[in-house]
Amino acid sequence: MIFLDNAGTTKMFSECVATYSHFACDEFYNPSAVSRKSAFVHAKLEEVRRDCLKKLGALKGTVVFTGGATESNNLAIKGAVKNGDYEYVFSNGEHPSVFNIARSLENEGKVVRFVGLDANGKVNLDELRNMLNKKTKLISCMLVSNETGAINDVKQIVALRNELAPNALVHIDAVQGFMKIPFSVEDLGVDMLSFSAHKFHGPKGVGGLYVRSLQLIKNIIDGGGQEYGLRSGTENVPGVMAMQTALLKIDVKENFKKVSRLKQIFNDIVATENGIKILDFHGSPYIEVLLFSGVKGETMLHALEENGVIVGLGSACSAKKAGNRILENIGYSKEEIISSCRISFNAYMNESEVREAGKIIIETYIEMLKRLN
Amino acid sequence: MEEKKVLLLKFGELFLKGKNKHEFEKLLMNNIRRKLNGYNFSLQYTSGRIILENYDEFEENIIIQKLKTVFGLIGVAKAVEIDADYENIKKFVSGIKISGTFKVVAKRADKRYPLTSVELERKLGEVVLNSNEKAKVDLHTPNTILYAEVRFNGKCYIYYENIKCFGGLPLGSGGEALLLLSGGIDSPVAGYLMAKRGLKLEAVHFHSYPYTSEQAKEKVIELARELTNYVDEIKLHIVSFTKIQEQIHMNCDAEYMITIMRRIMMRIAEKICKKENLGAIITGESLGQVASQTMQSINVTNSVVTLPVFRPLIGFDKEDIMDIAKNIGTYETSILPYEDCCTVFLPKYPVIKPTIKRAEHLEKFLNIDLLVNEAINNEEVVVIKN
Repeated sequence: MIFLDNAGTTKMFSECVATYSHFACDEFYNPSAVSRKSAFVHAKLEEVRRDCLKKLGALKGTVVFTGGATESNNLAIKGAVKNGDYEYVFSNGEHPSVFNIARSLENEGKVVRFVGLDANGKVNLDELRNMLNKKTKLISCMLVSNETGAINDVKQIVALRNELAPNALVHIDAVQGFMKIPFSVEDLGVDMLSFSAHKFHGPKGVGGLYVRSLQLIKNIIDGGGQEYGLRSGTENVPGVMAMQTALLKIDVKENFKKVSRLKQIFNDIVATENGIKILDFHGSPYIEVLLFSGVKGETMLHALEENGVIVGLGSACSAKKAGNRILENIGYSKEEIISSCRISFNAYMNESEVREAGKIIIETYIEMLKRLN
Repeated sequence: MEEKKVLLLKFGELFLKGKNKHEFEKLLMNNIRRKLNGYNFSLQYTSGRIILENYDEFEENIIIQKLKTVFGLIGVAKAVEIDADYENIKKFVSGIKISGTFKVVAKRADKRYPLTSVELERKLGEVVLNSNEKAKVDLHTPNTILYAEVRFNGKCYIYYENIKCFGGLPLGSGGEALLLLSGGIDSPVAGYLMAKRGLKLEAVHFHSYPYTSEQAKEKVIELARELTNYVDEIKLHIVSFTKIQEQIHMNCDAEYMITIMRRIMMRIAEKICKKENLGAIITGESLGQVASQTMQSINVTNSVVTLPVFRPLIGFDKEDIMDIAKNIGTYETSILPYEDCCTVFLPKYPVIKPTIKRAEHLEKFLNIDLLVNEAINNEEVVVIKN
């Protein structure tokens, strides 16, 4: 089976399992207790925090470990919400774990604004400019679109914030960017950033929120005060340690080059079939969208799985819902959207797998066209 | 016309006068390479400046922040490198948008260049005025300063802002010394200040498990780690002081507890220095801050060692020390509330004006050599790298 749905999740490195097991069964101590063993485990967690900051390209601030990016997004956004005359800005391209928080803020009576996407799938900066003012408390958007791979101009967004909305925090959901595309938070200038371990070959149920300063947000759950009081509950030590194993194994710049090449090889093959259209948003090499003229995306997905290739249907978290909010926002027609599949690579595939997948996709498409006519 | 984004690094001139110039420069370049290990970049040396080029733009800010902590550098500028031919400079400068007041600061390092610094300033000022309607010269308080430096490599560097670095002397240029690291606010600052004067650091920490906790030890490791932002690597000697403290407690006058403790610490420190080939001991003492830091106390503790003891904070107020600690990022860790070994067996009234004679008398009740050797033989060593 060739897995081309790596934006949905990735296969965990086997080394991570060994680490997990070590910190679950041998060094299983509670990092908050006062024994020497506990102090050791606590020191290990701090080591991972430093590694995360290094990989994020952060010189200040810290990382709060969470149960994944959905939780990080909730902490970042709800933690930044304040009572009073404030406004919150989100993009129309957000993953449900942000979009639905925005919706619930709206239901609570907060002033929430949604900025649209341009033809390249990026946050429309002209539109954003008109939405920002001194009342803006938060701007939240993703770094890399999980559906299209488009990369937002986060530096520009931060510059607009600096110019027009000095009281606003900028949060980015970097789930599809962290450990995949080279960037640094120092360069982007964001205040908060969410990430998730299972998108980069770490365990599920582990993630983090980078915060430039702990004073920026308040906690959303109460408890024993772990993680600077921002995420109470005994830390998921085995998970965090297993995430570190993945962090240290990955060379982001090398992988980026490798995946760019894999994507090119794949596209060169798929492009030979006229009925298949590659939507290229000039963004992350890890993600792209294919349109299968005349065949439903979901039908293609099932047929491809029969033939040994697993692809995605947009966000797995929203795949079951009709239509695709994001492609619609960019301006694609219903027919196009319904015929779309998301292809997402990982850096540990080899060239022959990618060639094979391309070949199977073409064959399957031709076969489906025949069966449908 | 070729334009290239580079970082222009400036270093202090003072230490460059003598015959050691070349060695210093080599050391500085190596220190920069070590500090930026893991980043893409290359270095080019041109008399008086180091050019850092071929870096990834998204890492520019991180690289600058890291360079700020390379001792010996006094400034970094984000510059554009162009050919130094005047017509070329003119063409480039005419494309620069400036509104409001400005001045041009030119520097002709290469005296073979046909225009003097002042001529270049005047000419380029004119170019800016001609191409920017709203620009106005103000030599005293301009909004924008446009720098143009012609260097020996035939290139001109154009930039606006000089980012200040920490200064000091290249790490390692002064040798290597041992820092007594307690876990408080002062000692990391003392280490930082001496590192800034070119000393590499090792450190020794005395702990009193089970009277003090493992967390107290972790805190000191964390402080040492924070210092590695400046010194790259610290070898930390963790010495158990429990038995020594118990012995002093049992055999000596309570008011001399701290005095004798500190004399033994100094002896252990000197032994570690000899073993590791370190040239001095560094402490965070500040005159009169506590009973053990009076002039008389310092005299009594100093008298057991022959190596120089550097006390860079001796004339500093606590507030000033705290400001530096905050600036170098050690303050938050220093104030974590774990007991350190000095607070165990603390006498109610420690002696303020101890004498060497009395200390020597009390020490007769202890087997000092045995205690010192035992402590060193059982030391735990942690090497912390940045």
